[in-house]
Amino acid sequence: MNDGVVFLNQNLFWPVIIVGLVLMAVFVWKEWSQRAEGRFWLKLVAAFLAIVSLMLIVLKPSTYQDSVRGKGIVLTDGYRSSQLDSLKSIYKRIKTEEYSKGRTLSLLTEVDSIFLLGHGLEPFDFWQVENKSVAFLGSDEMEGWIVISRNNEMILGEPLEIRAKYAKPKAGHWAILADNTENPLDSVFFEETNAQMVTLSAEPKASGQFVYHLLEKNGDGEVLSNEPVPIQVKEGRPLKILMVNTFPTFETKYLKNFLTEKGHEVLARIQLTKGKYKFEYFNGASGTIYGFTSENLKDYDLLIIDTDSYTSLGRASKEAMEEISASEGLGIFIQADEGLFRLSERQSPFRFNRDYVTEIALGQPVHTLPKYPYAFQQNLRTQEILMDSVVVAAYLPIQKGKIGTTLLQNTYQLILDGKETLYARIWTKILNTIAREQETAVVWRSLTQIPKLDEPFEFELQTLLTDVEVTTEEGARIPLLQDILIPGKFTGTVYPRKTGWNQLQVANDSISPWFYFVYDDGQLQNIHQSELRNANHQKFGSSSTFDDLKSVSKKELQAITPFWFYLILLLSLGWLWLEPKLSS
Amino acid sequence: MGAASIERFQKRWQQSKYMEALLYAIGFGGLVYLLTHHLIYGVIGFIVSAAIAVFVLRPWSISQENAVSYIDAHLPQAGFSSGLLLSPSNELSDLSKLQQYRVASQLEPILSQLRPPQNLLKATLIMFALILLGLAGRFVFSKVGNSLDGNKSTKEQITFSPKDSLSTSIEIPELTGTKITVRYPSYTGKSALNTSDPNIKAVQGSSIQWNLEFDGDVQGVQLDLMGELIDFAKIDGLYRLTKNLQASGFYSFTFKDSEGNNYVSDLYSLEMVKDEPPMVQIEGLDSYSYFEFDDDKRLMLNANISDDFGIDDAYIIATVSKGSGESVKFREETIRFTKTIPKGNKQMELKQPLDLAALKMDPGDELYFYVEALDQKIPSPNVARSETYFAVIRDTVTDMFAVEGNLGVDLMPDYFRSQRQLIIDTEKLIADKPNISEKDFKFRSNELGFDQKQLRLKYGQFMGDETEMQAAAGAVSHEQGEAEHGTEDGEEDLLDEYSHKHDSENEHNLVEEHDHENERQEEDEDPLHDYLHNHSDPEESTLFEKSLKAKLRDALNIMWDAELHLRLYEPEKSLPFQYDALAIIQEIKNSARIYVHRIGFDPPPIKEENRLSGDVEDITNYDKRQEFEYQKSFASTREAISRLEALIQDKKPFDAMDSALFVDAGNELAQKAISQPLKYIKVLQGLRDLEKAANRSKKNYMEVQKNLLSVLPQMEDVPMKRTRYDSEINLLYLKELGVYE
Repeated sequence: MNDGVVFLNQNLFWPVIIVGLVLMAVFVWKEWSQRAEGRFWLKLVAAFLAIVSLMLIVLKPSTYQDSVRGKGIVLTDGYRSSQLDSLKSIYKRIKTEEYSKGRTLSLLTEVDSIFLLGHGLEPFDFWQVENKSVAFLGSDEMEGWIVISRNNEMILGEPLEIRAKYAKPKAGHWAILADNTENPLDSVFFEETNAQMVTLSAEPKASGQFVYHLLEKNGDGEVLSNEPVPIQVKEGRPLKILMVNTFPTFETKYLKNFLTEKGHEVLARIQLTKGKYKFEYFNGASGTIYGFTSENLKDYDLLIIDTDSYTSLGRASKEAMEEISASEGLGIFIQADEGLFRLSERQSPFRFNRDYVTEIALGQPVHTLPKYPYAFQQNLRTQEILMDSVVVAAYLPIQKGKIGTTLLQNTYQLILDGKETLYARIWTKILNTIAREQETAVVWRSLTQIPKLDEPFEFELQTLLTDVEVTTEEGARIPLLQDILIPGKFTGTVYPRKTGWNQLQVANDSISPWFYFVYDDGQLQNIHQSELRNANHQKFGSSSTFDDLKSVSKKELQAITPFWFYLILLLSLGWLWLEPKLSS
Repeated sequence: MGAASIERFQKRWQQSKYMEALLYAIGFGGLVYLLTHHLIYGVIGFIVSAAIAVFVLRPWSISQENAVSYIDAHLPQAGFSSGLLLSPSNELSDLSKLQQYRVASQLEPILSQLRPPQNLLKATLIMFALILLGLAGRFVFSKVGNSLDGNKSTKEQITFSPKDSLSTSIEIPELTGTKITVRYPSYTGKSALNTSDPNIKAVQGSSIQWNLEFDGDVQGVQLDLMGELIDFAKIDGLYRLTKNLQASGFYSFTFKDSEGNNYVSDLYSLEMVKDEPPMVQIEGLDSYSYFEFDDDKRLMLNANISDDFGIDDAYIIATVSKGSGESVKFREETIRFTKTIPKGNKQMELKQPLDLAALKMDPGDELYFYVEALDQKIPSPNVARSETYFAVIRDTVTDMFAVEGNLGVDLMPDYFRSQRQLIIDTEKLIADKPNISEKDFKFRSNELGFDQKQLRLKYGQFMGDETEMQAAAGAVSHEQGEAEHGTEDGEEDLLDEYSHKHDSENEHNLVEEHDHENERQEEDEDPLHDYLHNHSDPEESTLFEKSLKAKLRDALNIMWDAELHLRLYEPEKSLPFQYDALAIIQEIKNSARIYVHRIGFDPPPIKEENRLSGDVEDITNYDKRQEFEYQKSFASTREAISRLEALIQDKKPFDAMDSALFVDAGNELAQKAISQPLKYIKVLQGLRDLEKAANRSKKNYMEVQKNLLSVLPQMEDVPMKRTRYDSEINLLYLKELGVYE
């Protein structure tokens, strides 16, 4: 658009023109008798002027002009009143408005520069200040829980671990992790510091969806704050395991007993002599396996193989094993013996350094276990498996699968010593890390950290399915936005209708629904505020001055003051009224 | 006559005093009775207070003089002359007589109206005051008492509530009467207990009878004892069940109304108290007492016995051991306490002197004794015994018994008699001959023959007589004979009658009888095989040097003869041979020398043709198949927690499946609850309560869930298959990671 005059009441243009012409015609017709006199022309001019100014009063002509309007203050939760006072003393009669989320700020029509005080605006209200210059001045330092991170989903038997940060803790207070019925599970004592990181852990005792609680109590046991910790506990499924040994060992025997008693499907093959094997089938395992092929390995989740068997694997077998591991995710666990540490790079993917340490301390109370005097060489691929901050094993990823081994020796001694729990813990840790994981068709992730009622909740969905359709509990379909780069990645937004557990489901599939927890307004306030502050910082920066460019380059349509038109109208009408008096 | 009226007045006075005392006493006695609630205390209080009151008031001390002066003071008509009435008229002057007459006539009508000084009103008031006080006191006591066991009384009722939400078309049947009778076992001496409190605690073996009375029509009244349902019997409108208490547990009642609605009661505890075995303690005695042979060999036994319900019997078990080593003999005796033991006492102290001489103990003998006590438990009494005490009479000489002092290994077998023993027994048999039946005699003679054979065989072993040993042991043939006993007619073992199957290896049935093949295999195994360098020729045996061997051979030959005669039931003829054998054996023993046993290993022979051939044709694969039912600990309970969470979140309504699950969970926990009832009763009660429709509220669900979570142990560590999602990006990354390794 050019910089010319624009009528604000453009839609009235033609009616006004017509009415003006009619008025002009009536005037001309009325004065027609005086047409011979010179004053007729004079009157005609005055009448024209009057009518034009009347028309302009109605049509409101306007022009584009650089608008420089005032500054305003937007107050959000947690603003510092001293800051507000000093701003008010600098800018007299500055406009102030309190922000409440979701409502349009009326102040914004009048100002173009905003001081934003407090924790800041909700991200979904940023659009309101899109063309304004904002100085985000922030809020006071916060107190209370500012970060709570945890694993949302776990298998029954795995611990729930919460890492949380508490700002300005008071000495003598406690942080307590309680279960859904507020039975205490773990606790940490606060110290007088600026911010304290606490780690709490507990093992859920049953599967399902629960809301655990993170409590803060003072010395008298009074509950000061109670934050919900929603978790989902799922049942694990038994593994399908293949054990291959050249000769029977106690280590294998006890590991086999441990696994079979826990209901895993185990096929154990132990060599008796050349070409003769002892096959043991547990919990429904079947079939005989001599050489490995991709066909016979495909269904297994875990292969436990001793070093001798591993090194004496034929070329085809080894390739099949590695291929299945790479494509299907088979976990390979090599039972180490002295021979493993001397293998060449071609024979074994593991590299070791001799460390001459033959014992390792684990567990509580501490129990020492014999270990091979080697340590894993650190390299890019080697992933160590830690227990009680001690390396007990390591694995290398082979695409989807993993190949791992342990340095521990004779762990069956633990069982003989009656330390079955420690034994179970060690092997659970190692095998859980290495064994194949069940692939899911859909994985969900919530992008909104703290979902709240009637606020947008953004989620991400990754799937290999084509043609996904997401519905809510109520059956409403949610539109998805596909990622530009990764075709299997989608994002979507829902507005939860109720607090507590909500669910989303892939509509055209029987995949189990995904649950997310919607918090009450009062819950996780501090964390929400600290997130808000971060979001506002990211959006507006942390400088307290205005962006001049933005405020100057802005042009707005402004109506020409009708004052002039009124003046012309008055003068014209005055002349028309006065002229007959003068002439008579 | 005037005197009589004064006397009457005096009597009246005294009576009123007694009355007053009586009133005080009644008041006090009443107070005591009301406070203590015991009539006896009341009577005692009454008597004591009456005595005190009488003693204080002294009604007997009111004399005629007192009466006279009182009358004078209170009746103007008496004219201060009533005393005259008491004096006999003949002792008085005329004037006095006149006065006496006048007074008498004037007093006559009014004296009976004169009231002696008395406090009867006051006494009555005090009596009532005391009784009122007593009533007040009783009221207060009962109030306090009630509040002390107030919660008990609320618990003491069985309450039922419907299991499902009801159609209210019919009245809910109500439990109108509960009577629980606990009959303790008769030996406890406790009387039967009638109660309405369904939480029962009783001694093991008590019989418990529940009598339930309902108004309204009910069916299928059952007792649910931890999953076991027992029906009540209906007798005269009462529901009755009698059960013998044998284990602790929990129970509840269920019944159905006419419309088939289920009702269930709360959970009640059934606690069994075990009848403890008696405690027996012996005091003031060292565990070992030693006596020299010339001491006064007496022990004083002080036994303290106690039991929770009563002792039935107690006695001393004394065992005397004579001799040592091979020839040790035991004799057990039960010694009764001299004092008879009163049955049913809970505690008693018993003293008993033990005379070792009376137990026929000689030097070197030992006495072991302990006190055993039985309680009255039925059917089988609890038996307890004290520690064992020892009394030893020191021997003046000690001899060690050693058969083969010259052998590196003591090869003396356990079960055979020495030659000396045999001689002693043979002599005893000869001495006993007149007194015993012929059959018995022959039996014993044969037995001795067997012993002689055993001894010979054992010595024969040292000679390397293994062939002889095998042939002689004859177990196989004997077994066969036994097996064919019934079929082979006429061919009876002549010895059978006298031998009660001793003549076999397995004499004492120590070894289980095996089938033939095993038997033969076992026999092939010579127990000495590992120790001996055995050549087939006995003469080449290197155990003894030549002369010794010859001697032993002689001894063995003589033993043959000794056995022969014993087998022929001629112990007299056998005896000289036995003496001879003993002499030779002694001789051999005395020629002691050191001998180091040769120990070697003879490997089995190797088949050269198969050696190192690597032929595994005949070896096959070995398959083993096994199934384990893995059930995680407290599976139902854990599921119940999840289910409760779903119920709390209103995800599903309560249905029959839930009910079944909660019952399962309850049964799971009940196993644990038996050992720790206090910790679990709340949880179990909560789970049970969910049976009732009225209790199915969120608050209750949460409460039960909380309790469940608090008692449930941690999950054990189990490797499990987990889920994950591999996006293309991740896979690409992992692939690249492999490539650029």
